[in-house]
Amino acid sequence: MSFFELGSAKKSDLKEYYDVAIIGGGPGGITAGIYAVQAGLKPIIVEKALDGGQINNTQSVENWTGFTSISGMELSEKMADHARAFDVPFTYAEVVDIETNGLEKAVVLDNGKRIKSRVIIVATGSNPRKLSVKGEEEFKGRGISYCATCDGHFFSDKHIAVIGGGNSALDESLYLSKMVSKITVIQNLPKLTADKLLQTKLNETGKVEYIYSSVVDSVEGDSQVRKVNIRNVDSGEITSLGVDGIFVFIGLIPNTSFLKGKLEMNEFGYIRADDFMETRTKGVYAIGDVREKEVRQIVTAAADGAIAIYHAARNYFND
Amino acid sequence: MAKLLPDNITKQVKEIFSNMEGSVKALLFKSEKNCDYCSTAEQMLKELSELETKISYEVHELDSEMAGKYSVELAPSTILLTPDGDDKGVRFLGIPAGHEFGSLLQNIVSFSKGAISELSAESIKRIETIDSPVDIKVFVTTTCPYCPKAVLTAHNIAMVNKNVTAYMVEANEFQELSKKYGVSSVPQIVINDKVTFVGAYPEGQFVDQVMKAV
Repeated sequence: MSFFELGSAKKSDLKEYYDVAIIGGGPGGITAGIYAVQAGLKPIIVEKALDGGQINNTQSVENWTGFTSISGMELSEKMADHARAFDVPFTYAEVVDIETNGLEKAVVLDNGKRIKSRVIIVATGSNPRKLSVKGEEEFKGRGISYCATCDGHFFSDKHIAVIGGGNSALDESLYLSKMVSKITVIQNLPKLTADKLLQTKLNETGKVEYIYSSVVDSVEGDSQVRKVNIRNVDSGEITSLGVDGIFVFIGLIPNTSFLKGKLEMNEFGYIRADDFMETRTKGVYAIGDVREKEVRQIVTAAADGAIAIYHAARNYFND
Repeated sequence: MAKLLPDNITKQVKEIFSNMEGSVKALLFKSEKNCDYCSTAEQMLKELSELETKISYEVHELDSEMAGKYSVELAPSTILLTPDGDDKGVRFLGIPAGHEFGSLLQNIVSFSKGAISELSAESIKRIETIDSPVDIKVFVTTTCPYCPKAVLTAHNIAMVNKNVTAYMVEANEFQELSKKYGVSSVPQIVINDKVTFVGAYPEGQFVDQVMKAV
């Protein structure tokens, strides 16, 4: 990260109407913004935190064509700069509701503002999944964390547990290994699912040990987390591990709670859309990680954005 | 001290400052001892004031009369004043670098326009009813991308009502304070030492928490 991040200071003045309101400034939303301008439309991107979204948490992206290896933050910045070069406006707020009745739609922001638009594109991505175990709510903010870059500093020279064995868990462990003294990775499966290369890098730090086929049963402590109780999924046996902190990276859940009852979703909360990314609600599209689909990658999110704009431009702005 | 702001950032900062209307003065409170970031904070303000003539700054010691006037106890502390010289209760404890640099820039632009709160009409109405002192501390780290949202919400709350003072607190610089409040995840918000929550809540929910602490 740069010593000086401009973040939401780069916001644009908000107008009352846009052709396309894009909710979420990740790779899908940003790409949709660029394609919209190129199609002669006026888009706006509404982002709640940071340009690029979740990819900011990835230390190195090695499957975005054209870059052998690039940090998620740098890629985010390049994507947002690309959009700004095409005069795509950004505003920073959390969307709390959408209005989808009629031809003119609206996006309602937490700061009370309302953006009218002809088309809405939902590109809200996902948030970290929680453990849903005893002690999690109690110790959230007191040793349980879901953001390594935010909170890693508080665990200098401490022993932490990382829950999860996928790419994001190991990527974040690699980041945390620079500050903590020891990491115990707790994985529910008999082996890690992260890429081999990443496993090798993490093992080279010499700070990591693994507990396989195990899940968190509960978290205990006093004013801070003191131990994590782990249940073996085969034997059911419970063991305790003394730790100072717990970082949870066990996958993601779609950011769709504000859309319940508004758009059709599957049982996990992912939005259903057709081959053109349009939902059952005409003029409302879903792209990227938030959409019900097989492959959730930066490149597929970007592709979704392009497809949605092509369809919207032809069907709603052809007059 | 070598120049802090790189050229590519300077260009973008100038663009952001082109939205300023009146002049903004920053008061920086520093201390000779136990202040690793005081000189960096001063350098940062110096460079910002060189970029835009509408920005000026004054440096005061922690044991000065001015520090007493503004009830400043820790260094570095930065306070912004509107073109009319009004203190709106907006405070930065520690250096607003990293992701908080954006918060500082937005506050500066907002102060140049008289620090009119950007909260919704509904939130403003609720905050206006507060008639006793409210102290909001937003603990952050400079590497936390979700923190500016909480800082800006708190600062915009302070702009509404003279009774509210809202602090950004850089948790790594003020470890004793962080320890006192048990900070291990950011943003952590502490209101009147009574209500605590973790996370960048949407505006309405943040205001709910403030009203709970009154």
